[in-house]
Amino acid sequence: MNALGTLLLFPGGLALLLVALLAEWISRKLLARLQNRVGPRWFQPLADTVKLLAKEEVIPEGVHRILFEFLPVLSLAAVLTAALAVPLFGVVPATSYAGDLIVTVYLLSLLTLCTSLAGLITDDHYAALGGLRVLSQLFSYEAPFLLALLGPAVAAESWQITRITAHAGSNVWMLFTQPVGFVVAVIGLMGKLELSPFDAPEAHTEIVAGSLTEYSGRGLALFRLSRNVALVVGLTLVAALYLGGVSDPLAFAVKTLALLLVITTVQALFARLRIDQTIGLWWHYGVLLALGQWFLILIGKGAA
Amino acid sequence: MTTHPDSAATPKRFTIPIGPQHPALKEPGFFEFTVEGETVIGATLRLGYAHRGIEKAVVSRTWVQNLYLLERVCGICSHIHSLAYCLGVEKLAGVTPPPRAQAIRVLIAELERMHSHLLWLGVAAHDAGFETLFMYSWRDRETILDLFEQISGNRVNHSINTLGGVKFDLTAEQIVSVLKAVELMEERARYYLDLVRNDPMLGQRIRGIGTMSAAEAHRMGVVGPTARASGVGRDLRVEAPYAAYTAIPVVVMLETDGDLQARFIVRIREMFESCRIIRVLLDHLPEGDLQARMPRRIPEGETIARVEAPRGELFYFIKSNGADMPERIKLRTPTLCNLGSVLALCIGRQLADIPMLLIGTDPCFSCNDRAVVIHQAGNREKWTWEQFRRYGNEALR
Amino acid sequence: MRISTILGMALQSLFRVPATRSYPQERTPSPERLRGQLRWNPEKCTGCAVCVKDCPAVAIELLEVDKAAKRFVLRYHTDRCIFCSQCVQSCRFKCLSLSNEAWELAALDKQAFTVDYGRDEDIHALVEKPASTDDSPRL
Repeated sequence: MNALGTLLLFPGGLALLLVALLAEWISRKLLARLQNRVGPRWFQPLADTVKLLAKEEVIPEGVHRILFEFLPVLSLAAVLTAALAVPLFGVVPATSYAGDLIVTVYLLSLLTLCTSLAGLITDDHYAALGGLRVLSQLFSYEAPFLLALLGPAVAAESWQITRITAHAGSNVWMLFTQPVGFVVAVIGLMGKLELSPFDAPEAHTEIVAGSLTEYSGRGLALFRLSRNVALVVGLTLVAALYLGGVSDPLAFAVKTLALLLVITTVQALFARLRIDQTIGLWWHYGVLLALGQWFLILIGKGAA
Repeated sequence: MTTHPDSAATPKRFTIPIGPQHPALKEPGFFEFTVEGETVIGATLRLGYAHRGIEKAVVSRTWVQNLYLLERVCGICSHIHSLAYCLGVEKLAGVTPPPRAQAIRVLIAELERMHSHLLWLGVAAHDAGFETLFMYSWRDRETILDLFEQISGNRVNHSINTLGGVKFDLTAEQIVSVLKAVELMEERARYYLDLVRNDPMLGQRIRGIGTMSAAEAHRMGVVGPTARASGVGRDLRVEAPYAAYTAIPVVVMLETDGDLQARFIVRIREMFESCRIIRVLLDHLPEGDLQARMPRRIPEGETIARVEAPRGELFYFIKSNGADMPERIKLRTPTLCNLGSVLALCIGRQLADIPMLLIGTDPCFSCNDRAVVIHQAGNREKWTWEQFRRYGNEALR
Repeated sequence: MRISTILGMALQSLFRVPATRSYPQERTPSPERLRGQLRWNPEKCTGCAVCVKDCPAVAIELLEVDKAAKRFVLRYHTDRCIFCSQCVQSCRFKCLSLSNEAWELAALDKQAFTVDYGRDEDIHALVEKPASTDDSPRL
């Protein structure tokens, strides 16, 4: 497939955006059914995006206008770029080079940084608090998540996603050989994406909408879209590394769906943690668990 | 109501307004918290956003019409408001409603207590980010609302009270429905009690937070389940029984921990007690009329009526000058007593605990707002409507 | 230590019918005592107007066509009515009742909210009389 087709249609671009909306729908529908409700119809996330794009964008006073409008675009661009190195739809990624695992994870973090900055550039108290919380959560979830993803990298002796995926595909699933790492990766993903119970940065009963309080219209639509794309990319990454690789579209669909179901169920079960509890809990346990898992892997490698 | 920090300004200290519009508040109220980082160091409160001029409006409506106005002071505890009003007016007129009417009044009051506590549980869970519990408790609440619709014809604002008794009777099938619903409520209450006691994540948000000792509760004048969670056993159904409570002894649910979890537990345990009271009532439902004759003009006099609303002590002062319209009615709702405790308890806590602390007292701002005229230095003024309106517009800007 | 107390119930809910009633596709039958729109039986009315006096919302007007012959028209303002059923209680001759089926009362214009009840000839006799717009409490 030529580069433009990949970027705009498949597997990046349009196909990715549609799958991101689908993922949001599945998540919302399942959440609703777990709560004994009906839930939205299949086109709801698409309708939400179209509606938001059509609404007037209100730019608050005293904000740096260019930065305000640029941040949502940057975050969407970052996650779409991150998607290029990941085996979406079971297809070989468009770009692949040594170390692209780190680049992908950091491009996903760029989304978080943009969200935080979006809160900090306005005069709003709620947005400022939200932005601070996003940064705090970023610091405490980034390290364990990266460490957990590096577990399979160590096992595969490579930092290139395609190599790790190939290794994962031809051996026992890392879910079974590195279970602790799997748990840390899933929880780290939920923390990164600010899914309940780690959604203190957007705790709407405390700080209205967190760092995105001042956004409306197009900016909000792009931020929401980037969040959904990040969800898909994150799920693919974890599925590819821990659930035995994604070699064809069917495997991709089944594995990412299973992971999405697990994450959504966890979302439904818990109350929201306070930001200091989120950080306190995970900064200690997450890092310790991830390091412990690494230790075991290194011992295993040494013994092999 | 103010608690101010030191005047010396320090960096990264700023004021967070919560309200008048805020997702944490179901009704408007204006809290201003001075925070340093995420810790609260000062708090102020302004009320008055839901003031509707009820005490002025009752004076130009007949006694019968006021039944419906006062019922609509609050949607959640509407029956208890009309009950307090009826008790006061019946006392002034020297009329005793028949025993069957008293029993039906208590039945609806206890059902309302259960529905209010379930509503509160859902809202508290929502504030804690626990959407699933919110959805479940409100689904269970529908059972009670459907019961209200069967018995009285409306889900809220049941209008079952009339001066001198009640309007609608309980049929045999309705009694069966009530008993079935009560059984379901008990099962659900058991589930929620277990959840509130044992859920680890929810426990992180409610255990050990907002602890208020019995002495502090006494000093701040807290009422209702908020006080009972700190071991202060104030319950008007026991201290000053009214209606059918004179015949049914009520067990007051007390907890001694005084933290947010205790407040959750007290309210859920009160649901068990309500179920028990309803069963006893229906077992011994007296036969007879539903209404006693009431005069159109209530004799001159003044009286007070105190009842135990789901949130605490509800106080009515009713004054008649012999006409067919009241001269003065003064309401004091329980939320007014409890809000001061929120301001005192939030100092030193994290910002994220504020919505939980506020919801722990089960605030109902719309019940709350009254205008009070304070006489300063013997200067008594009578205000016209125009002056009052202007004051409202300017003062609350 | 249990990680979650609500997992069992959540998984069960997946397989239960949602608690939401899909109105308007699904309409549960209304209970007998549901307080819907007012209905008036002109045969027994004596024109005592206690219902008018007791209504907290000034929703009822009793218009006289011929007082001696007991011909009245009851003008009912659905938009002011609070469905409290005080009028039903106050009427000594049981002329009034609240329908338990007419509760879907939304309309696109205000005309639909003012309903004239009575015998046809009485209503025709009053066709020129305008509706009252005074909704302050009567003293």
